[in-house]
This record gives sequence, C-alpha cells and structure tokens, in this order.
Amino acid sequence: MIRLVPNHAARVQRARSVTFTFDDEAISGFVGETVATALQRGGHRLLRHAPEDGGARGAFCCMGLCQECLVQVGGRPVESCRLLVSADLTVTSLKRGAQSQ
Amino acid sequence: MSQIFDIVVIGAGPAGANAALTAAWAGCRVAMVDEQRKPGGQVWRAKNPVVLEAPTTPESRSGDALRQEVACSTVLTFAQSRVWQIESAASGWEIYVLKEGKVVTLVAKALILATGAREYVQPVPGWTTPGVIGLAGATAMFKQDLALPGQRTVVSGTGPLVFFVASEIRRLGGEVAAVVTPNSKREWLRAFPAMVRRPDLLVRGALWVADLYLAGVPIYWRHAVAEIDGETDVSGVTIRRLTRDWAPDGEPEFLGADSLCLGNGLTPAAEAAQLAGLELRYRADLGGWCPEVDASGETEREGLFLCGDGAGIRGAAAAEIHGKLTGETASAYVRGVAPGENHLLQQAYQRAARFGMAMTALSVPRKGLQTLMCADTVVCRCESLTRSDIVAEINAGAQSTLSVKSGLRAGMGPCGGKFCQGTISQLIAQAKGGEVSDVPPPTARPPLRPIPVAALAGDFEYDDLPIPKPAPL
Amino acid sequence: MTIVYDIAVVGGGIMGCAAALEMAAGGMRPIVLEQSDIGQGASGVNAGTLSLQIKRVKLMPYALKGHHAWARMGAAVGFKKTGGFTLAFTEREAELLTERQTLKAKAGAPIEFVSTKRLRNVEPNLAQKVVAASYCAEDGYANSSLTGQYFRGRLCDEAIEYQERCQILAIDRGASYQLTTSRGVIYAKRLLLAAGAWIKTAAALLDVHLPVDARINTVSVTERMPALISSVIGHATGLLTMKQKANGTVLVGGGWQGRGRPQEGRGQVMASSVMPNIALAQFAMPGLSKARILRSWTGFEANVPDFYPLAGALPGFDDAFVLGCVRGGYTIGPYIGQLMGDFILGREPELPLFDPGRDFDEDML
Ligand SMILES: Cc1cc2nc3c(=O)[nH]c(=O)nc-3n(C[C@H](O)[C@H](O)[C@H](O)COP(=O)(O)OP(=O)(O)OC[C@H]3O[C@@H](n4cnc5c(N)ncnc54)[C@H](O)[C@@H]3O)c2cc1C
Ligand code: FES
Repeated sequence: MIRLVPNHAARVQRARSVTFTFDDEAISGFVGETVATALQRGGHRLLRHAPEDGGARGAFCCMGLCQECLVQVGGRPVESCRLLVSADLTVTSLKRGAQSQ
Repeated sequence: MSQIFDIVVIGAGPAGANAALTAAWAGCRVAMVDEQRKPGGQVWRAKNPVVLEAPTTPESRSGDALRQEVACSTVLTFAQSRVWQIESAASGWEIYVLKEGKVVTLVAKALILATGAREYVQPVPGWTTPGVIGLAGATAMFKQDLALPGQRTVVSGTGPLVFFVASEIRRLGGEVAAVVTPNSKREWLRAFPAMVRRPDLLVRGALWVADLYLAGVPIYWRHAVAEIDGETDVSGVTIRRLTRDWAPDGEPEFLGADSLCLGNGLTPAAEAAQLAGLELRYRADLGGWCPEVDASGETEREGLFLCGDGAGIRGAAAAEIHGKLTGETASAYVRGVAPGENHLLQQAYQRAARFGMAMTALSVPRKGLQTLMCADTVVCRCESLTRSDIVAEINAGAQSTLSVKSGLRAGMGPCGGKFCQGTISQLIAQAKGGEVSDVPPPTARPPLRPIPVAALAGDFEYDDLPIPKPAPL
Repeated sequence: MTIVYDIAVVGGGIMGCAAALEMAAGGMRPIVLEQSDIGQGASGVNAGTLSLQIKRVKLMPYALKGHHAWARMGAAVGFKKTGGFTLAFTEREAELLTERQTLKAKAGAPIEFVSTKRLRNVEPNLAQKVVAASYCAEDGYANSSLTGQYFRGRLCDEAIEYQERCQILAIDRGASYQLTTSRGVIYAKRLLLAAGAWIKTAAALLDVHLPVDARINTVSVTERMPALISSVIGHATGLLTMKQKANGTVLVGGGWQGRGRPQEGRGQVMASSVMPNIALAQFAMPGLSKARILRSWTGFEANVPDFYPLAGALPGFDDAFVLGCVRGGYTIGPYIGQLMGDFILGREPELPLFDPGRDFDEDML
C-alpha cells in the first residue's frame, strides 16, 4: 500500500528501558520519557479518582495545566506529564485506596 | 536574592524566543523563562532525553535551529522554571519564578509576555474518561516522547490540528480509527484563498488528507464526538452529524477505539497578562479573550510587551515575526530610543497573520457544539461540577463567572479554571440571552501554576518575622 | 410610573444585605445596588474566621451575637464551630497572648489558657515549638465564598429587589434621593451607604468626607490535603490564621498586606507578603510543606482612625445612613446589619450603634 506519510516507528531510537514503581507494581518505561507516557503504554491510564465524585481520571492536557495526571512522589504531588522516568523512581497514585506516604 | 535584567521574556516559543534573541542582539541583557525543558514552545517542543535518534520533521528542524540560536546568544534561559507571580515595581517589573523547588526573583525594566495558547476542549459526555486527551496534548506527547496515545485512536476536533494529529499517529506507527471534524469540506474550500499564500503548508496538509484517504481511514466531515464509552478506559466513541451551527442532529454512530484525541481550537493563555494589569476583550476571530496589543508588541502599560498567540491566535509563523518585532520595540524602550519602523517585517507579519487567522476561523467552535453536553456532563473537571450544577447556579441568580466560581468552586480547583471558564461563560451568556463577549473570565489570581508551600517558605527564619504593631484592643 | 423605594442600599456585601433583610422584615421596600456582584467584596473574599480571640474588647457583645447569627445560617454558609487555638512561639508572644486574651475573656468571650499538652492532644500536627496557647470553644469559621450565593438567595426569598453591576454615578437630593446609576435612575426616600471599602467614594457623592482608609488583606489556599487540623488556628501577633475546610483545603490568612486602592479594582497580591505568610503557616504546621498553594488573593478591609464601626446617620442627614468599617466585620456583619435596619425602622437597637459623626481621635466608648 502506498503511504504518503511514512512510518517512522522503526527509526526511533530510545534510551534504555528500566522499571519504576507505581503503586507497588513494577512498570517498565524508557529513561527520560514522561511517567504519564510510560504509564499509558503499560496500560495504566487511570491515575486518580476525582476527589468530589470519585470519577476516573488520567492525563488530559499533557502540558502541566490541567492537573489531572497528578501522582505523588515522596508524598508530594507531581504532574506525571512533566516527570521523567528514572530507575529508582517510586510513584504513588491518587486513586482511592492507594497508599499515600 | 534577585537577578537584574533589561528584559525578561516569559515563554520560549517562537514568539518569546525570537523576541529574546532580537533584544539580545540589540545589546540588551535578556532572561527568558519557560516551564519546558528547552526552548521551542508548544509548536517546536523539544524531545525529551528518551529519544536518542529519530527522523526529523519540519517542527523539529525549526525547533533545533531556534535552540541553536538561543544557545549561541547571550540570552540567559531559565528552563523548567515556572513564573507564578508578576508585579510592577518602581524600576520596572518583578517576576517570581519557581526553579528547582526554590523561588527566584527576576527584575527587569521591560517585560515581554509570550505565554502562547492553550486548548479549548468542548465538554461532552465521557470526556473525563482516562484515554481522552487534548489534541494539543497529543502533539506534546508526539514531540517530546515520540509516543502514541493508544493502539487505535479516534482523532476529533476543529481546524488543521485534527489532521496533523492523525498524520503524526500514522507516522509514529499507530492506527487512526477515524478523523471526526465539525468543519465541512466547503469551509476548507472557503479558506483556500488564504492558504495559497503558504503553499508549503497547503501541500503538507493536502498530503495528510490524501494519506488518510489512501489508508482507508474514514474522515467524518461536519461530525463531532457526542459521547465516550468506557468507565476507566476508553472503549469507543459515538459520533453524530452536525447542523450548520454544529448542533448534533444525525443518527449516532459507534466507533471502536481505545483512545481519543479531542480539541476545539486554541485560546490565548492570558492569565499572565491579566496579572500584569492588562484588560481583556473578546475577539472570536482571535480565539477568545485577548489583551489589546499592536503589531509592534506594545500594550497599554508602560514597559509591558506581548507577542505571539497570547495576543490572539495567529499561528506559529506570525508568532515568530511578532516576536522579532516585539524584541525590537522592547529593546528600543530599554535604550530609550524611538523604535525603528521595520516595514518588511510588518508586512510579513500581516501576511502570516492572515493565514493564521483563517485557520483560527476554522477552529473556533460554533454555538451548537454546546448542545453536545447533557445535564450530567462534567464541566469543571477539578470539582466534578456538571452542566446542571452550573445552570442551577446561574438560574439562582449568579450572573457572572465570578459569582459561579464563588458559589460552586468552579475554577477554584488545581487547574485554576483553565478548562471550564470558557464553557461557563457560554452557559451564562445562553441563560441571559446575551453573547459570550458580555461574560468576561474571573479576575486572575496568582500563582499562575500551583506552587509548593516549601518553595514559598524557602529558608524562613522565625526571628526575621516583621512583628507588627498589635491590633487595637 | 416611577417607583420610589423606601430605601436604597448602596453596597451588596454582608452589611448592606443584612440591613436590607431586616428593613424588609420591618415592612420597608428596599433596593440593594451593587457595583459588581452580590457578596464579592470583602464579604466574599475574607478568610472566614469566626474567632472571638481576634475581636476588639468593646465589640465582644456584638461578636458573640454575630457568632450566633452565623450558626443559624449554618451549612448554607459552610458554618462550622470547631473551637480555636491562638499560639505563642516565644516568651514575648506568650506575654502578649496572656495580656490580650485575659481582657477579652473579661469582656465575655469564653477564652481559656490551655497547656501545650492539651493542645498537642487536640492538634498533634502543630509544631512542637508552641510555648503558650489560648482556646475558645466558640470559635469556628464559615465559607466566605458562599456569601454571595447565600445572600442573593435570601434577597430573592424575601422578594427584595437588587441590581448587580450597578455603579452609582451621582446622588441628588430633592423630594427624594435620585441615584443616577450605570443601570438607570433610581428614586428612594432614604439612603444607606454600606459600600465597604468604597464607602468614602459613595459618601463623597453627598459631599460628606469620611476619613476611611483601607487595608489590603491577603488570603491563600492550598489544594486538598489529608486531615491536618480540626480547629481554627491563630497566632499571638495576629500574623497567621489557618483552618482546614471540610474538603481538605487549608486556608491561610493573617492580614499580610497586598497593594492597590479600592478605586482601582480588586487589589493585588504581593509575593513579599505571601511568602512569609506561608512560611509562618508551615512553621506552625510542618505537614503543610507537602501542599501546594493554588491561589492567593486580596480584599479591602475599610477602617476609620479609631478602628470602631461607622453605624448610624450620615453626619448632617436624617434620612441617609452609613454602615461599614467594622473590624472583624465578617463575624459581626449579620448582627450589626440587623441593628442598623432596626435603627432606620425607628426602633431602639438592641445594642448601641456607632455615630459616624463622632470625633475619631477620641476613644468614644
Ligand atoms: C481579606 C479579608 C479577610 C478578612 N477576614 C475576616 C475574618 O476572618 N473574620 C471577620 O470577621 N472579618 C474578616 N474581614 C472583614 C470582613 O470581611 C468585612 O469587615 C465585611 O465583609 C465588610 O462587609 P461590607 O458589606 O461592609 O463590605 P463589602 O463586602 O466590601 O461590601 C460592600 C459592597 O459594596 C459594593 N459597592 C461599593 N461601592 C459601590 C457603589 N458606589 N455602588 C454600588 N455598589 C458599591 C462593593 O462592590 C461591595 O460588594 C476580612 C476582610 C478582608 C478584606
Ligand atoms: S495532563 Fe494536564 S497537567 Fe499533566
């Protein structure tokens, strides 16, 4: 089939893959990509429950404005769309029942 | 601990970076602040360190060239730094920046705001479901991580962005389930005269659309996503045909997908301008509420300049030139000389702006799109307030965005109203039988982004507390 | 046919609305004229602290009545009686605390001094460095952002007319008062100026000079936090007030000054005030360091040189009145508004009012 927009997927080289912790689960991601990206690839789109109605929420604006992708690192809120994956990272979600430090 | 400059530029996109470079070349001491890791802004956003190598794109090339120029200039870049407060001071401006968990103060004679735009996303039932991201948000993901929003994605929205996103998904190896756009083919044809001025972009756009046709990706013209299925993850979307006014009237059609990119045009990010004391006025042709600025970047406040999409949505090409013009004006101001008239650049700006505004005209949502919301559709995501909550407050007498905000907390959550105020204004206008232009957004309040208490507190010493005269007994 | 209202109330804050409600209940037909929206002035942006520990000694009876008025409004205004602690971190502050709270207790506020052990039992998340504390069981808070919603609802329920986004441009006195406003001309037999920090401007329209000044108080709020405190917290110097709302957000105030003038809009926050204010809050409650501040704002609090209210007839007039400049006006507002309404209705107010024609350099009480 003719493609006018070529498929570049095979030509992208990424940094090494590591695992980081998300709510006690080991997630693999590439070093230096955003945690939101790694989580979504790993099938974790649900990042929080909205405080008022418990609605399911995940990354939305992907640029640090909407605060929907909020997770916790060391007990502090961080936008996962701006946080980069590294090997020693431990991330806790703001899902109901998740263990916040 | 403050650092002193001639000019501080907020925003390192095409407008801000070019303004900074121009001013630096004119001999000014310039600082440029941006929350991203590198200059480039939204359109020329840099790759994250994850990407070691990848084919280039027009955007990545423009961005790399700009970053190269900034690196070779005397512009001092504050990257990953968030401006949270702007104050006018006797000597000019004080800009409070959050950098690496600490507050840094920059002082400058002149301030250039180049904060760009953010996206308007029309709320529809299910738009809060994880797996629904903004169209602009999707481009951020492509540019910085070269990642996909899902396996099979519906791309829906107005203007050219919807085709760019669809084509990027295909370029990065993903599957586009369908493209859904409220625009009709005829609207695009009508924009043709403005587009021929930029044959490069015209050809690129034509290629995107032709590629989608060849790949058999359905394009639903004059349609919108009316509902998103799935509890904790997108499982599909329902689309409907629209009337001329973009109200849904066709039979619902279901499309299976695991992700949705959704957006309805850009709107100026004007909070920084509001904090700096500028009034906003409503300009539908420029994407919504904008501060008053001229082509040279001058505003009604002394020492305050503004350029790029934050002054009205005119697109990247116009922003780049507006930045240069504004850099010239601001540096002339700093040196105390009259700004030179740069006719060629002015003309280039007008040409670029015409193209950009034609794209904005295609992107601006029409009134009917509002009727995609149901009574229980969430409007304010932070506080989970639905359309019926907001309408009830309006019917009980709240006649301004300020009153709705106070009564319901709509806009008091972590996003600060960035994603609900547009819809709320429209609901108020509708209830009053008036126009959105009569319903301004609420007063902007600092911080411009949430700021950690620990950063504000800094290395506070209790003994340094200025103890006031006790209040009268 | 032109309507001549019994009274035009200029200003739709707590004072104006409470007075209008009382006058309507007494049979008058008032109209409330508000330049922005009902309850968006000081009444809608203050920190909402209902604390007897920060009230003036001579206003204590009014404050107590005010507390009861808020309690009656209840959930509709987010009222919560939590009890409140005032903290001292140094010996000097402890002295100040003892001296001031003793006088306030004598004036009728149920204030007691408590051990730091008891304080820690109730509020384990407060800093260990407290050296002395006072407690008042009456203290609590209400949610000031609900002021507009609440009073607009009350005005509607009582069929009291009001106009929002209505600027008073001129006031002429003939057979009745003629108010030229941005929304048309309004006629009224009487006038009540309850225009908050704008009271001076409003009185100037009648050629009356009121020596009114305005403080520009700053308030900040965090995002939702896990439960940290249950009481209203104050500081011996008055530089900090802190409370955690039911939704988990923590509200921080303390009278730190912003800048701006009432005539020039809503006032501006100054980082040089917000930062030490937040630092002090974190010092008092270290757990706050993990929070983020979402918003800081300012509001104008009006006062006259003796810091007592203006509540009575406008000097030189018998059918124009003024109500404002009440220190702790959020607390006292609903009650003093009612007293003012009674006075205009020709009734004897339950507690004395405060003559706006007094000599402000003398302590009048
Ligand atoms: C930041 C802050 C924190 C505070 N914290 C507390 C606290 O914790 N506890 C406490 O007890 N008190 C507190 N106060 C004091 C209290 O809020 C005020 O004393 C009280 O609300 C004053 O009520 P008001 O109706 O007189 O003024 P406002 O609420 O200001 O109402 C006056 C209204 O008049 C309108 N107006 C003015 N001029 C005109 C005109 N020409 N035409 C039409 N309309 C006009 C204004 O827009 C305004 O809405 C605080 C005040 C501030 C500013
Ligand atoms: S997705 Fe919006 S802030 Fe991260």
